[in-house]
Amino acid sequence: MEYLLHVGVMLCLYAILAASFNLLIGFAGLFALSQAAFYALGAYAAAIVTTQLGLPFPLPLIIAVVFTALMSALIALPALRVSGHYLVVISIAMQIIVLQVILNWKSLTGGTDGISGVPAYDLFGLKLDTPELFLPAAAIGALACLWFAFRLTRSPFGRALRAMRENEAAAQAVGKNVLYMKVTVFAISAGMAAVAGVLFARYFTYVGVDSFTIDETIYILAMVILGGAGNLWGSVVGAALLVIAPELLKFLPLPVDIADKMRLIAYGVVLMGVLLFRPQGLMPEPRGRKAMFVPVDAEREESDAETLFKGDKGTKGETVMEGRNLRKQFGGITAVDDFSIELKRGVITGLLGPNGAGKTTAFNLLTGFLRPTSGEIVLRGSPIGNAKPHELVGKGVARSFQDLRLFTRMTVIENVIVALPDQTGDRVLPLFLRPGKVKAEERANAARAMEILRFVELEAKAHDTAEDLSYAEEKLLVVARLLATGAEVLLFDEPMSGLDRNTLQEVFPVIRRLAENGKTICIIEHNLDVIKELCDVVWFLDEGHAMATGTPDELMNDPELAQRYFK
Amino acid sequence: MDLLLQLFVNGVINGSHYALLGIGFGLIFATTRIVHFAYGPIFTFAAYIAWWLSGAMGLPIWLGLLGAVAAAVTIGLLSYLALYRPLELNRAPPLVPLIASLGLYIVLENLTGVIFGSGVRVVDVDYGIFFVGPVFFTSIHVWQVGSFVILGLGLAAFLRYSRYGKAILAMTDDPDMARVIGIDTFRITLLVFAIGSLVSAVPATLILVKNGASTHMGFAAVFMGFVAVIVGGVGSLRGAAAGGFVVGLVESLGLWKIPTEWQASIAFIVLYLVIMLKPEGLFSMARR
Amino acid sequence: MSEAILETKGLAAGYGKKRAVFGVDLSLAKGEKLLILGHNGAGKTTLLRAIFGLIEPMAGSVMLEGRDITGRTPAANVADGVAFVPQGHGIFKSLTVRDNLELGAFAENDKGKLPERLETVHDLFPILKERASQVAGTFSGGQQQMLAIGMALMHGPRVLILDEPSIGLAPNLVERVMEAIATINEKLGASILMVEQNVQLSLPLADRVMVIKTGVTVYEGSPEPLRDHVELMKLF
Repeated sequence: MEYLLHVGVMLCLYAILAASFNLLIGFAGLFALSQAAFYALGAYAAAIVTTQLGLPFPLPLIIAVVFTALMSALIALPALRVSGHYLVVISIAMQIIVLQVILNWKSLTGGTDGISGVPAYDLFGLKLDTPELFLPAAAIGALACLWFAFRLTRSPFGRALRAMRENEAAAQAVGKNVLYMKVTVFAISAGMAAVAGVLFARYFTYVGVDSFTIDETIYILAMVILGGAGNLWGSVVGAALLVIAPELLKFLPLPVDIADKMRLIAYGVVLMGVLLFRPQGLMPEPRGRKAMFVPVDAEREESDAETLFKGDKGTKGETVMEGRNLRKQFGGITAVDDFSIELKRGVITGLLGPNGAGKTTAFNLLTGFLRPTSGEIVLRGSPIGNAKPHELVGKGVARSFQDLRLFTRMTVIENVIVALPDQTGDRVLPLFLRPGKVKAEERANAARAMEILRFVELEAKAHDTAEDLSYAEEKLLVVARLLATGAEVLLFDEPMSGLDRNTLQEVFPVIRRLAENGKTICIIEHNLDVIKELCDVVWFLDEGHAMATGTPDELMNDPELAQRYFK
Repeated sequence: MDLLLQLFVNGVINGSHYALLGIGFGLIFATTRIVHFAYGPIFTFAAYIAWWLSGAMGLPIWLGLLGAVAAAVTIGLLSYLALYRPLELNRAPPLVPLIASLGLYIVLENLTGVIFGSGVRVVDVDYGIFFVGPVFFTSIHVWQVGSFVILGLGLAAFLRYSRYGKAILAMTDDPDMARVIGIDTFRITLLVFAIGSLVSAVPATLILVKNGASTHMGFAAVFMGFVAVIVGGVGSLRGAAAGGFVVGLVESLGLWKIPTEWQASIAFIVLYLVIMLKPEGLFSMARR
Repeated sequence: MSEAILETKGLAAGYGKKRAVFGVDLSLAKGEKLLILGHNGAGKTTLLRAIFGLIEPMAGSVMLEGRDITGRTPAANVADGVAFVPQGHGIFKSLTVRDNLELGAFAENDKGKLPERLETVHDLFPILKERASQVAGTFSGGQQQMLAIGMALMHGPRVLILDEPSIGLAPNLVERVMEAIATINEKLGASILMVEQNVQLSLPLADRVMVIKTGVTVYEGSPEPLRDHVELMKLF
């Protein structure tokens, strides 16, 4: 019986670890393999402050969690610069360095001996020093962590995390602060792992480095992958299966040493088997309607989405945004050279020019995705300086991408909701401190998003997954997502290419109406027909600078340009 | 000064070891984009096969080496065919083979332990000890440096002058374009897995003779190989070799001022700095 | 014209679950220059990649001189006289011009033919001879495109498939590349299947034109009517 209770305690610890790891790799898409190091830091911090300082509950827990969360910045920092394989290798290196420091800092950590004599929890004189007595404490810890993780993932912040996972640049382009999200999710994931570490120290009353090796990280990884990345229940199930199943090995008459190795072999086989035969895990990330955590009925409510379609009330024809003598060099290649452009309120400006003329680079400069080598960009009279893309979205400048960059594994309506401005739940503190406000906003945003989808006639597909849309529908969703930002200056990178004539006739009035409402619009376009029908002013780019500017008719009748481009 | 000279020589010796691992791991990584973590336990397994043949069966060490090469190549090819290939055919995203390779990593590592038992395994080979001035080294050290020179030059010549070598370079440059000109990328992948595994068996056997074999030594092997590749710059074998020497030298010369117990961390700190400051690697050629 | 050298029937293809090409019928006559026009995302590249075997067709068939070659590997196609120049300078940037050209003939078993072919390529693009030892990645866009075409010729193809050879090139270079393609067609007798967006500079070259929109053919026939601006507008 006591043995079963012990398994129960272990299950609680690993449920916390797997859920915390899933936040990082499944939801945020940050593949950093150092979870066991966070686990170790939490355990050691608790062991040190209890044995050496004798601090009472809950101080060791708080100190351990805060300390580990701060230490996670060591790995979050590289994650801001690199991703993919680089992040994997550097996070493994960090895990090893953490263990080395623990091993070598003998005065504090006891080196290879570890720290024993960690006091068990003391509940009014009752020592929680048996599995039976400890299990409730572990369960409370696990439930608290899981509640926190669920609350976090089923919130605007969680939605933004998944958007970042799907496409980082697009998440920035809808106004998300990627730096904040990465640092925060690392801190939270590390803090949760530290909770498991503290429980470990209190339960075993001993900590030693052997419990926190890279094998341990792989073990937790196997739980997440088996259960399903991006599904928290999956992590609980994965933890349960991988904690309980190997215990059965104990009933086989194997020497302890061999049994331990067989257990590790089993984890490896499970990991490979899942990836080969069921890569989405036992409980895949929810799709479609199941992925929605805002009540669907909220989508039918009245909304004020119309305000998002309105621009500033200022004078029509007034210059809102201006690029002055912009120049951008990549190595020896000058992509944009002495390029100046003015975007005016209520005016649809077209950027025309052959492939490689520098149109997209110009967009990247105007929206903060690239910094100009020289020249400046002025928004409503003041230079934007080094504003980052998401800051510019906040100031009312948003763009779309030629290659769409939808959040492909999210629903259509979520693609729109995530782009809506000023979401209180985008930040973690208000999310937990003002749940009522967040909830009300979520309902309102669902309704606004639905209205935007009705506007582009995608409402019937609202709960489809974005990757299942047709090409034309994807293009419409790009427009919807851009509208949702509510930005005043809208820069469309080839919004029309690939749409048939009938769809075009539906999109034209939408864009014209936006301009009439006072939005400032700029469009990159190849299709002369579109330019002619839609644009008020056209800038013709070639080899990085503006060759000519004027109304579409003026440009198309320019003999030199006609020779060069139109015919 | 004498100490510094000795540390430098040690650095070159260890650098050769890392450079070989870097070349072997890096060849597979650059050509196939697979992060083959199981390269580590394959290295270990090869060392144990060499021990089994030379230590337990009493055969000469060169036969042990041959056995190690055969074992490494076989397991290397099997890991591609049974694990990575099906994942490629499933169009798995790039990180999936990496996670799978971690699974294969712990399977192979523990399987080695189950088959050969834990504990260090040594072979008894006579080797010479040399003093050149104040500097000390053994004939195994000479072999470590020599094997790097032989395999490094051999591989460079193969890539430069043979038809299949050029196909490997082409695939490293652009796999899609390699298919366009009619290169059978499946065969080239098998070839690089074979060569990369072969290369691992040589330092594995030398480490067996030098320090003995233990089941956990694969981690350091694959990780130092990976570090050499990243420090040197992904995609260039010359870079991987140079990266291996940089790590070996920094690690060794660092002992001049840093206590021994921190030696293992030095490489990781170099890695951290390179990734933070120059993620394209120290020796990458500006290509694009 | 004479009989078809390359044909597709109801060819459909795409990536993952998504189709980009829906049942395209295409026929390239021997010695012909067929131009395929279409906007971004129309499925042109997918079509070419499916014909050449770089992606598995989802339906339909590809025939070379009447033989079914659907889904055959690119290696087999190259060996059988079909060459492909992919979009965006299909070269190996880290290798020298000489190595690139040599790799172009990778699948050729009869190495005796190579000196002659190399000479043909050098005649067509003298710069490839002058700068044989230069690393290809340091070439300008136009030079890279010439090298890419040169590589494709190293196999002595009967069918040359080109995916937007004009992309990113200045107009005078596009003309130069188009001239070279015409020469390849006339002098070397290769049939040309070319996808383009640059209507103005590619149209004069074409014997026949197909226009594709969102994965289906909307026009097929003589280039003449398309020289009229208005006609073209209707199609796009």
